[in-house]
Amino acid sequence: MNTPKFIGLDNYTRLFDGTDQYFYNSLAVTFKYVILRVPLGLIFSFIVAFLLNMEFIRGKSIFRTIFYLPVIVPAVASSMIWIWLFSPDLGLFNSFLEALNLPTLNWLYSEETVVPSIVLMSLWGMGSTIIIFLAGLQGVPRSLYEAAIVDGAGAMRKFLHITIPMMTPIIFFNLIMGSIGAFQVFTEALIMTQGGPNNASLFYNYYIYREAFLFGEMGHASAIAWILFMIILIVTAIFFRTSKSWVFYESEV
Amino acid sequence: MLRSRRISQITVYFFLLIGAAFCLLPLFWLIRSSLMTSIQIFEMPPKWIPAPFQFQNYVEALTSIDFFRFFRNTLTITISCLAGALISSSLGAYSYARLSWPGRNIFFSLLLASMMLPSAVTLIPTFIGWRLVDLINTYFPLIMPVWFGSAFDIFLLRQFYSSIPKDLDEAAYVDGAGPWTIFYRIIIPLSKPALIVIGLFSFMNSWNDFMGPLVYLNEESKFTMALGLQMFQSLHSAQWHLLMAASTFVIMPVIIVFFIGQRYFIEGITLTGMKG
Amino acid sequence: MKKAKRLNALALSAVFTMTVILTACSSNEGSPENQNGIKPPKEGEQVTLKFSFWGDTIEKKTVTEALKRFEQETGIIVEPMHVPSDYLTKLTTMVAGNVAPDLGYLSSGAALSWAEDGKLLNLTPLIESDPDFKKEDYLDQIWYDYAPGKTIGMSTAVEGYGLMYNKDMLLDAGVELPPTEAGKAWDWDTFIEYSKKLTLDDTGKNALDPAFNPDKIKQYGFQYDPYNMMAAVVSNGGNFLTEDGTGFGLTEPEAIEAIQKLADLMYVHHVSPTPLQTKSLPDMALQTKKVAMTVSGNWALQAFAEQDFNLGVGVLPKLKESNTLLDGAPTVIFSSTKHPEEAWLLYKYMADPESVLPLIAGGLWMPLKKSWYTDPELISKWASGNKAHPEGYTESFMKQTLENGIRTPGFEVKNLTKINALVTPALDLVWTGKETAEQALKGVEPKVEPLIQGYYGR
Repeated sequence: MNTPKFIGLDNYTRLFDGTDQYFYNSLAVTFKYVILRVPLGLIFSFIVAFLLNMEFIRGKSIFRTIFYLPVIVPAVASSMIWIWLFSPDLGLFNSFLEALNLPTLNWLYSEETVVPSIVLMSLWGMGSTIIIFLAGLQGVPRSLYEAAIVDGAGAMRKFLHITIPMMTPIIFFNLIMGSIGAFQVFTEALIMTQGGPNNASLFYNYYIYREAFLFGEMGHASAIAWILFMIILIVTAIFFRTSKSWVFYESEV
Repeated sequence: MLRSRRISQITVYFFLLIGAAFCLLPLFWLIRSSLMTSIQIFEMPPKWIPAPFQFQNYVEALTSIDFFRFFRNTLTITISCLAGALISSSLGAYSYARLSWPGRNIFFSLLLASMMLPSAVTLIPTFIGWRLVDLINTYFPLIMPVWFGSAFDIFLLRQFYSSIPKDLDEAAYVDGAGPWTIFYRIIIPLSKPALIVIGLFSFMNSWNDFMGPLVYLNEESKFTMALGLQMFQSLHSAQWHLLMAASTFVIMPVIIVFFIGQRYFIEGITLTGMKG
Repeated sequence: MKKAKRLNALALSAVFTMTVILTACSSNEGSPENQNGIKPPKEGEQVTLKFSFWGDTIEKKTVTEALKRFEQETGIIVEPMHVPSDYLTKLTTMVAGNVAPDLGYLSSGAALSWAEDGKLLNLTPLIESDPDFKKEDYLDQIWYDYAPGKTIGMSTAVEGYGLMYNKDMLLDAGVELPPTEAGKAWDWDTFIEYSKKLTLDDTGKNALDPAFNPDKIKQYGFQYDPYNMMAAVVSNGGNFLTEDGTGFGLTEPEAIEAIQKLADLMYVHHVSPTPLQTKSLPDMALQTKKVAMTVSGNWALQAFAEQDFNLGVGVLPKLKESNTLLDGAPTVIFSSTKHPEEAWLLYKYMADPESVLPLIAGGLWMPLKKSWYTDPELISKWASGNKAHPEGYTESFMKQTLENGIRTPGFEVKNLTKINALVTPALDLVWTGKETAEQALKGVEPKVEPLIQGYYGR
């Protein structure tokens, strides 16, 4: 946090020539997270929303509220639970694995499993995505389903030919927002791992934060932030390009 | 046929119940911990039921910080943001989804791009901006941005609006309606579930926002509940039992608002179903 | 409305893009501004000072009350600014926005580098021109000098390290209680033997028993946070940097030996929980009898005093010499203050143990003034006769810290935050038993060396 001075592109060359020890590492860790988290998150929350929306389900209001709870409960409480669930010694997950005679894992505390563990945690906090899908499912006109039943369509065909196509604008939204969010994953690293063990969860955004506020390197932090910006921009642009072939809008956008 | 349907219904219930149990865990844990001594909370293997119940935690939590003032402050901010989010994002999204104007796509890209820079680097420039207009230590930096539309909300609503058949608008135009009438008579009623989602998210965001109040507010009399919760934690120690009790208070209104809000989803169905 | 929104979006994006681009192209090697000129306040002007600090509810209450009393005694208005978390983020933002408080707490790394950049006031002129203030009244170790003859002031409090234990567990196991005098400190072998005696497996066998099962330990003899490893390093005569400040001290033989000995407690002697096991241990390990002895800073006494067990304290076991770590974080005056003289008055007031006595007697802090370590009447105000300061405290913590307290690297090592960002992951490999101390530290040494810039204030 020092007096600024113009130094041209030095902050950028420092990244690519390897002077900055963490740049490539944090890129790799972040991509690993995004590639796991975005598709899993979409599929998982779509399924939950779809099940919650089935006509025969009773107590929908209660279920919806419950599935949203992990988002509401403050991180101080939920991170304590996760520390317990993931505890290698006495944790619920390892007790479960032991009961099934499977090898136990070190979860957050080993370089190999820390990112998948954080993905697992984030799936549990998918309440917002589920709610958006639910709201979308409400908007699928019932007349379409009725017409399909008249045509003799089964559950699977209704799902594939009515639900999915009608939901593509919302799926697209969740894909975009999920990716933008996943590239900026931060809180888990800050609260639970501090980037460890051995930088295996040094997510890009945490790395930026650390440069800016712990190392006082605001200029450097801004430089690396622009690279993240470009990456997200390119990924989003690609998604928008491809969207023309699979997202169906009722009206031209 | 009936039997297999029965079985598949039971399977669905089974998965939902397992998921629900997992999702209830944090709330249960919070409440259970809020009724324990700080020692019991950490006992391993964990105890599920407090013995004895420490109801005095709640009294202590609510009296050791100025909780009701924080509650009032939070409510002020939350309601101001809620109104802003609904008004600005529904109008903005209408414009992006239904009206055509030159440069619309470029502006939409800019809007999305505003979400792509991490807050770690935008915090200080934004703060300096608010200081230049001398609004540090007021609620304006927390409320005003929402009134200019949040990218997330506008994008979400745009997606919903564009799934409303355009025939409806066209029929209305033929009847002599202008864009405002269409917005008010057709778009808003048909996108109720989405507006409720926006409202819920906006409520949640300002209720739990922590970084904004932390950076912009200096006087304790202006603090919000999210800041108040942090007072039970410090570098080396935390009064976990009080933190949990106070947290329970903080989230109850959110749960109630959510429970009430999501019921309007049902209404959305019938409306869309009728007209669609 | 629509148009306005578009314009706004455009304007905002533009401003915002410009700002970030500009910051991205700036470096940190600017010339320090010199704003240390002291202007006396105008006659009759009402002076208001903003004091920023962190801390739990107890600390908040005591500090706020102290500030109130100062206000009543001097007529200078003080606005307390309690920052409940993310302190550095908030302060960095305020300083960047040119609305820094007048004075307040700061973490040591940020404080020293901000001082170099002219953001903090050099207190030396104030100290020298103040007839009421004698530097030698305060502990010698607590000063943060950022250049020779230039200081940002003192630590907010003193934090000495020592051994804390559950007395009943030691008595049950028939282990002699840890000594409280430096001259009688346990040597490492004695310490290991007693720790083994206190480590029990699920069948109740201790770690000295040949049939002891290290995979099923239910009670550990000794627990330490790797954060405290410097205590062993200094006891073995090592330090973070070499004495001349040009080399990486942790790769010197004495440091490597000390760190290896700590790791061996986990993986050779099985008397300490590994970091993996610590994650599932409660914060209350002493009270719940999961752990018999632990090493921590003085602050832990505040929490232990509230728990229900028979707390004992002793000096740390020694490797070569009996000493301890002295930790802290400074209180500083920001150079942007318009009232340096009044800020200095408040600074002195808060440094007086009398002003913050509840925190000192409560076990969170140790006092800054030497007399509170030597004058029996003052000692009795805090270091004895209360639950946070059990029998033997005056010897094992108070005297040991005053006489043999070695400053933590945070007081003087330049660039420490960045060096630690490399050292911590390397040491993770040691604490998880994947590499020896020598492999890990020698492995990271080439990366650390370019970052070494010596000591502040020398």
